[in-house]
Amino acid sequence: MTKETKVRTHRLGAAALSLAAALAIAACGSSNKTTTTGAAGGGSTGTGTSASGGSGGGSISPGTLNGAGSTLAQPIYQQWGSNLKGKGLTVNYNGVGSGAGIADLQTATVDFAGSDPALKPEDQKGMKGPALQYPVAFGAITVSYNLSGVKSGLKLDGPTLADIFSGKIKAWNDPAIKNLNPGISLPSTAITVVHRSDSSGTTNGFTTYLSDVSPSWKSSIGAGKDVKWPTGTGAAKNSGVAAAVKQTQGAVGYVEQAYALLNGFTYAAVKNSAGKYILPTLANTSAAANGVKVPADLGISTINSPDPAAYPIVSQTFLVAYKDPCKDGKESASTAKALKSFLGYAFGAGQQTLGEGGNKLPYAPLPASLAAKDNAQLQTMTCNGSAIS
Amino acid sequence: MEAGATTATGVRAKFARSPGARLPDQVLQVGLTTLAVLILGLLAYFFVRLIGESTDALNKFGASFIFGNDWDISRNIYHGAPLVIGTLITSAIALIIGVPVAVATALYLTELCPRRVRGPLAMLVDLLAAVPSVVYGLWGVFVLGPKLIPVERWFANTFSFIPFVGGGSSSITAPNYFVAGLILAIMILPIVSAIAREVLATVPAENKEAALALGATRWEMIRMTVLPYARPGITGGAMLGLGRAIGETIAVVLVIGNAATIGHHLFDQGYSLAAVIANEFGEAANQPLHSSALFAAGLVLFVLTLLINIVARWFVRRGTRGMRAPNVDAADAVSGSVATAGRA
Amino acid sequence: MSASSPAFQMPKVSAGRKRKDTIMRGCLLVGTGIALVPLILIIYYLIYKGVSSWTSSGFFTTDPTGNFFGNPGGIRSAIVGTLEIVALASLIAIPVGIAVALYLTEYGKDHWFANTVRYFVDVMTGVPSVVFGLFIYIVLVISHAGGSGFAGWKGALALALLMLPIVIRSSEVVLLLVPTSLREAALALGAPRWRIIWRVVLPTARSGLVTGSLLAVARGMGETAPLLFTVSLATALTGNLNGLMNSLPLQIYTDITNPRDVIVARAWGAALTLVALVLILNVFARLISRRSRMT
Repeated sequence: MTKETKVRTHRLGAAALSLAAALAIAACGSSNKTTTTGAAGGGSTGTGTSASGGSGGGSISPGTLNGAGSTLAQPIYQQWGSNLKGKGLTVNYNGVGSGAGIADLQTATVDFAGSDPALKPEDQKGMKGPALQYPVAFGAITVSYNLSGVKSGLKLDGPTLADIFSGKIKAWNDPAIKNLNPGISLPSTAITVVHRSDSSGTTNGFTTYLSDVSPSWKSSIGAGKDVKWPTGTGAAKNSGVAAAVKQTQGAVGYVEQAYALLNGFTYAAVKNSAGKYILPTLANTSAAANGVKVPADLGISTINSPDPAAYPIVSQTFLVAYKDPCKDGKESASTAKALKSFLGYAFGAGQQTLGEGGNKLPYAPLPASLAAKDNAQLQTMTCNGSAIS
Repeated sequence: MEAGATTATGVRAKFARSPGARLPDQVLQVGLTTLAVLILGLLAYFFVRLIGESTDALNKFGASFIFGNDWDISRNIYHGAPLVIGTLITSAIALIIGVPVAVATALYLTELCPRRVRGPLAMLVDLLAAVPSVVYGLWGVFVLGPKLIPVERWFANTFSFIPFVGGGSSSITAPNYFVAGLILAIMILPIVSAIAREVLATVPAENKEAALALGATRWEMIRMTVLPYARPGITGGAMLGLGRAIGETIAVVLVIGNAATIGHHLFDQGYSLAAVIANEFGEAANQPLHSSALFAAGLVLFVLTLLINIVARWFVRRGTRGMRAPNVDAADAVSGSVATAGRA
Repeated sequence: MSASSPAFQMPKVSAGRKRKDTIMRGCLLVGTGIALVPLILIIYYLIYKGVSSWTSSGFFTTDPTGNFFGNPGGIRSAIVGTLEIVALASLIAIPVGIAVALYLTEYGKDHWFANTVRYFVDVMTGVPSVVFGLFIYIVLVISHAGGSGFAGWKGALALALLMLPIVIRSSEVVLLLVPTSLREAALALGAPRWRIIWRVVLPTARSGLVTGSLLAVARGMGETAPLLFTVSLATALTGNLNGLMNSLPLQIYTDITNPRDVIVARAWGAALTLVALVLILNVFARLISRRSRMT
């Protein structure tokens, strides 16, 4: 053998070996295939659908579900995915922002979308069939800031927040902020606004609040998943905003509470509709859900809740899925079954993972009446016209 | 005697081929040609589709797609001046910083460097091209960005009398035009340097020796004979670097600040054509006008890189004047061609 | 020759010129140093921040858990996913690329059609990968080609499209370097065209082709944008190329904008892994080409 052919043989051998090794690892490790065997689909005898749905967590159909959307709700879906893995249900959730999540559902590249704002008529129009929205939880949108020496609980009201986020207030020791916080010594650090660069339900919730409390914000910038921010740095996802706030002295951004708690952020006490300065605790978040009007399509909104104890910037988050996921070949029957069982879990046993307490996620769970409405709507889900067992 | 001819006795000539022997050759030729046609067809389809998807937005907004300053998704208005300007600013910074350093490196390696060190040093500079752009982004976000803030503040304060470059020091934060431009400069360095080295190698030795014989110092020789000769080629190399800088996405998205406004200072946040596509494609999937606007941004990007590449290659060809240095071999040829291949 | 004329004296270089020469030489040296500083810094920080992840337990043997709190997991599925996707991309790009290069050098030569192909291929090398990604997103992902939305094989296809022009160009350069005399000798001995290609041209160009292919593979391994548009992100280990998969560049990209320090540390470790893989391929490619030069 010449030197060249030796090199070639060795190289080919090494390449073949590593390729084989990679495929071997993949084959051994991939116990979660996307094609479901459907054998263990407990309770497939198709009677009492309300029983399996209502008790919640009774029977989980195995399979793989792909979801995408809201990063506000991302910790929830990821935790549930982790919990359900042992039961044969794999849930891949990609936090791409509420806007992209709805777009993914419209193109049916995912099985369900996480979206914070309720579905608008134009969202429905783009769907490949009627889509249903299911409220899943409530999360507080904190106004988190990175200001050394200033403790949590800086008081801020609506108009001041609007001025900060529109760039009219440029430094932390601005008189407007000082007036609201007479006892705190504020440094002269410049304010760096951090906002979302992607289409975001969190942005929607925050700007809806700002539009409610500040007429100048409403007329100049308005509310929505994407708004034209006059100032500041754009970061993608809640995690991106959190990272940017963490890295920049003097930064302020709006992030869901789970992210604020995870990173030890200090956040503001915001003035609510009753005139009180409220911190985003779990109790204050749940209070926002009290007395919220529930329309027929379950499209609620808890921003600027009238409840006097409520934190004013609480966002609901929806799980959106097709009413008939199988129609037009969007999904297989077994995946639709898995989807239904996942939703049943979401309104049932999954709710136990939310709330106050060490290993629970810092979101307010659904009030019982709302969970019941969710379950009732879930029973209308069909597969090619026939009910899913 | 012709192959295939029979002699008078009817026996086929020694080198005659059987009739079926041509078949594999014909199959091969047809096969390869078909493949080339398919590849060409695929590329053509790509261009046609790209243009087709962009027409909606371009028709609706016309020239203000490039010159209007209003990228507003909520109102479905897509005037992309902030994107174009951001792209131009970061690329300009990349050129201003990257090209002189790259040319200095190339000059050092070809003219002044001790022979033994040349190979390893050249390989080190070329290794910069092997680092993936996401790693550049990671390094830019956590190392370069934060460490540069004090320098940027000092710079903005000292030169505050110069518009755009100075001023605004009170609100300087890590992601900004300058960091993006600096990272791009590092990324285009290997290409510009590789091409400059190729070009410098074609300078005829007689010119250089003549200058030295007349008593010029090393630097004077470079200035008088090498640089003027190599100038068109180096210009071409710089333009190829520019083409790459314009198209770079991932590293820029992480360090430019993603603000759809035109920044007032060198250290303001901005946006770029490539970054906007990467950030917004998900939500635009089902919005016809938004999706068309992103395709239009891609088309602008593509046309820009196309024009720059055409002009650049013309310069480089003029610069090397078709001659190759005598010691080129497969390895250098391959690395050279790979180094000049585009990347985003 | 004549003993009486004085020997020629070189005029002395003035102090000013000498100083300028020294200064400019120094500038060039400093410039080269500046060029090397980023490389050194990047490698330094990669090792400094990434090694702690490498040595943490389970980094290479567990998948990212995707958990919001608690253990973030390792990067096993990312490495395997990258290997799978890049392997498929190489399987497509390298044979097709070499075949097209063969067409250009053996059959096309200077024909107008071959020149058109060359021109288009040249143009394609300049297309930013985002534009490719967007194109494939609209053509393959949204249209659910192959029965799936995001899929690993679509990402492999996007990477192959990116690698193809590089393979074609570098292969053509190498194939052109094969001496015509070799081809003519084989022709004179009566060999058919295909045999000449298979037995003479390809073996002679072999090391150059391998080098070019390895460099293209190294490029494909590091690309993020094409995967962003076609494969999306899934954390589980899977061999199913017709669905979502994980990959090293995307895992790093997602982890960079995460506020948790452990996840950022994981990003550094993953980046070190990726750069190590790419550097090994690069060094390997150069060693092969150097060895061929010596024989």
